[in-house]
Amino acid sequence: MEEFEKTLSRQQAAIEAERCLYCYDAPCQAKCPAHVPVPEFIQSIRSGNLHGARVLLQNVHPLIETCGRICPEEAFCQSVCTRSKIDAPLRIRELHRFVTDSTDPSDQMELPEVTAGKVAIIGAGPAGLSCARELRVRGFSCDVFEARQVGGVPSQEVSTHRYPRGVGEREVDFLISSFVEHVRTERVTDVKSLVTDYGAVFVATGLSSESDLNVEGTQLVGVFRARELLRKMKSGAISGAGNRVGVIGGGNVAIEVASMLREEDATRDVMVIYRRGIKELKAFKKEIEEATVLGVTYQFLAIPDKIVGSHHVEGLQVTQAHLCEEDESGRCRSEALPGSNFIIPLDTVVVAIGQRVEEGVFPGLARSNSGLISVGEDLQTSMPGVFAGGDAVYGAQTVVEAVRDGKKAAEQIAAFVAGGD
Amino acid sequence: MYREHDLSYDFLGIHLENPFILSAAPPTDELDMAVDGLKAGWAGVVLKTTSVESNPVNLKYPMMSSFGTAAHKLWGLGNIDLISQYHIDEICERVTTLKHMFPTKMIAASIMGSNKEDWQSLVRQLKKAGVDLIECSFSCPQGSMGEAPGRMLAQSVEATEKVARWVKEAAGETPVLIKITPQVTDIVEIARALKRAGVDGVTASNSVPALIGVEVETLEPRPSLFGEGAYSGMTGMAIKPLTLRTIAEIARNVDITISGNGGAYSWSDAVELMAVGASNVQFCTLPMHYGFGTIRDLKSGLADYLDRKEYASPRDMIGKALKNIKGQEELVTPRSRSDIDLDKCIGCGNCFRACTDGAHRAILWDVEKRQPSVDDEKCPGCGQCMQVCPVNAIRMKEEVDGKVHYFEFKGTR
Repeated sequence: MEEFEKTLSRQQAAIEAERCLYCYDAPCQAKCPAHVPVPEFIQSIRSGNLHGARVLLQNVHPLIETCGRICPEEAFCQSVCTRSKIDAPLRIRELHRFVTDSTDPSDQMELPEVTAGKVAIIGAGPAGLSCARELRVRGFSCDVFEARQVGGVPSQEVSTHRYPRGVGEREVDFLISSFVEHVRTERVTDVKSLVTDYGAVFVATGLSSESDLNVEGTQLVGVFRARELLRKMKSGAISGAGNRVGVIGGGNVAIEVASMLREEDATRDVMVIYRRGIKELKAFKKEIEEATVLGVTYQFLAIPDKIVGSHHVEGLQVTQAHLCEEDESGRCRSEALPGSNFIIPLDTVVVAIGQRVEEGVFPGLARSNSGLISVGEDLQTSMPGVFAGGDAVYGAQTVVEAVRDGKKAAEQIAAFVAGGD
Repeated sequence: MYREHDLSYDFLGIHLENPFILSAAPPTDELDMAVDGLKAGWAGVVLKTTSVESNPVNLKYPMMSSFGTAAHKLWGLGNIDLISQYHIDEICERVTTLKHMFPTKMIAASIMGSNKEDWQSLVRQLKKAGVDLIECSFSCPQGSMGEAPGRMLAQSVEATEKVARWVKEAAGETPVLIKITPQVTDIVEIARALKRAGVDGVTASNSVPALIGVEVETLEPRPSLFGEGAYSGMTGMAIKPLTLRTIAEIARNVDITISGNGGAYSWSDAVELMAVGASNVQFCTLPMHYGFGTIRDLKSGLADYLDRKEYASPRDMIGKALKNIKGQEELVTPRSRSDIDLDKCIGCGNCFRACTDGAHRAILWDVEKRQPSVDDEKCPGCGQCMQVCPVNAIRMKEEVDGKVHYFEFKGTR
């Protein structure tokens, strides 16, 4: 699958860069969780100093290739662009991508000797790798524990039309070879013993388990978990989904898996089945638009009752719903209309209704009610010397927020180690 | 349909149907191009500068270059062009043909010679061909001939006066314009010399001698011919303020007819040139950029302006702005302060930064609200903040005895 978005040409980028107002204390930069110095890198595009632009990005952000492609700009920089008050926001992410696509990541950072100590990082996703880089820059040596593939969600679960395989691998390999001492593949369960071996631990394991649908029929052949399916397809394997696929959910994972199933086979029907309305979809607008372009269809206001079939999935019975009052997120709840159920004929059901921190891991760490790892202001968990960040702490979030957590954790870990506790 | 405003008037005894003339340049260097331009509605042409046959014209291509930004790439246009490769006989034929085809348009020709005999013979031949007006190039930046080798004629007061006399002597009743350069120590001295010489007017001015650029990767100048380049004559929007000053300075000091030339890109640019003293306006870079069809908006914009301002004829606005141009020391001293309209403000902070780093540190910044405010004690009303405000939310305000006056931003249309 080809990438949907083409990188801006030099001329397009230069013209777009001219629209920037170079706001003082720019809102875009403040809104970016990684605090990318947006006006400054755009000024460097304008002057033709692309290398300088890359250095600015690289200094604050370990995953610039990734974020240049998949950062949901609508939620961050572009949502506060002052230029919107004149006409339309700047295409900041695309300018960012223009810089990374037009320059070489060849410059090695100048790294200090390892004198500060050793840190164990659990999870080689965006949060873990960002933390590793920031710690290495501060003179720490880091071992990263990753039981699955390195790279985390972006390289393993983001569809290829947004994020081609090679791009992610290149960036992750660069981070690991430059900033990580050892990648260890054993599965960590006992954090306590790790803290004694290392000066500190950073837990960035993400949300590794998926919520199951609590209805009849989930054991039938043809029922899949969304993220498992994404990983399978991103690895290059055949999904095994049929010709009439229903994806249950309305978040980014639901839209992502629906898109990728259409990418895999443009002749199959893929329908996102969502209990609320179109406005209530939680996925980012841009991703919804791309799914639409790929031919994904929708059944709104449908609450799943049961998956029907004898051995294999034959359909999904749903009850028609209607929208009622707004919930705390400002989105309307939906309520079943009794007796309005109908069956959608399907041969495949993909469940994308949520994700959690795996039960039972890290038994010593305090959890919130929703099962997320609890941390203080300094990202330290209930166990001294064990810090945590990323999705495992904040629930499903974006790459750039994971980067923010990784950077912050590194700062806090350095302070913790220096404090000598 | 809509009534067409009459834009016609007399210029040195020549009927002009509007003030817009195609200048001596590439757009008038081919007969069919001049024909197309006149058909499109231009009031006249000055055929590209010609000379006698003994003067070889060795052109170097690419001769054009420019500078600007990605969104606006042609702020300034440069050329290392020379005079026309067509010699006087060909030009005389064209004059006759054009005059026959367009009896109501101004058909002028531009000449350049190297000695008295050349100049006067060129003039005599053009007169015979029936030319309406003769323009003499004393200012081609790419080199001059004869009287002041290596310099432009119009950079020497003595040479300017002497050659202008020769030309006028031969021209007799036919009007003569001398095209001068802005690159002199005192433009007024040149204009006075022309007045003494008895020519009918001055074309102010010409392209400005310039080095358009240097490629930083290769250190080649622009334009580059295999790594080497030469100074260009620069035209286009970038030079309009220079032209305005040149025209105004002549008009304020010397009673001589001026044909405006250099940097006009729109009807309002033309109005500016005329308001500081030009009797008509010549164009070259605009049609070289956007074609002869640009005459439509020049005419319609001017007509609308004349209606709004209740001028019966374009003549009526010539020099109308001159009384307002003074020496800096003669100006009143307002007590103005920056006045920011927060309803218009979009909170970019450019005014704050410009004032802090480039002016009087008189603008304060509310970080939370992203709003500027003015410290009246520190602000002298210099106006830098209103130049950088992207939404024109800033004016300078003077309040004296309860009477309020605003100085507003006027940089763009």
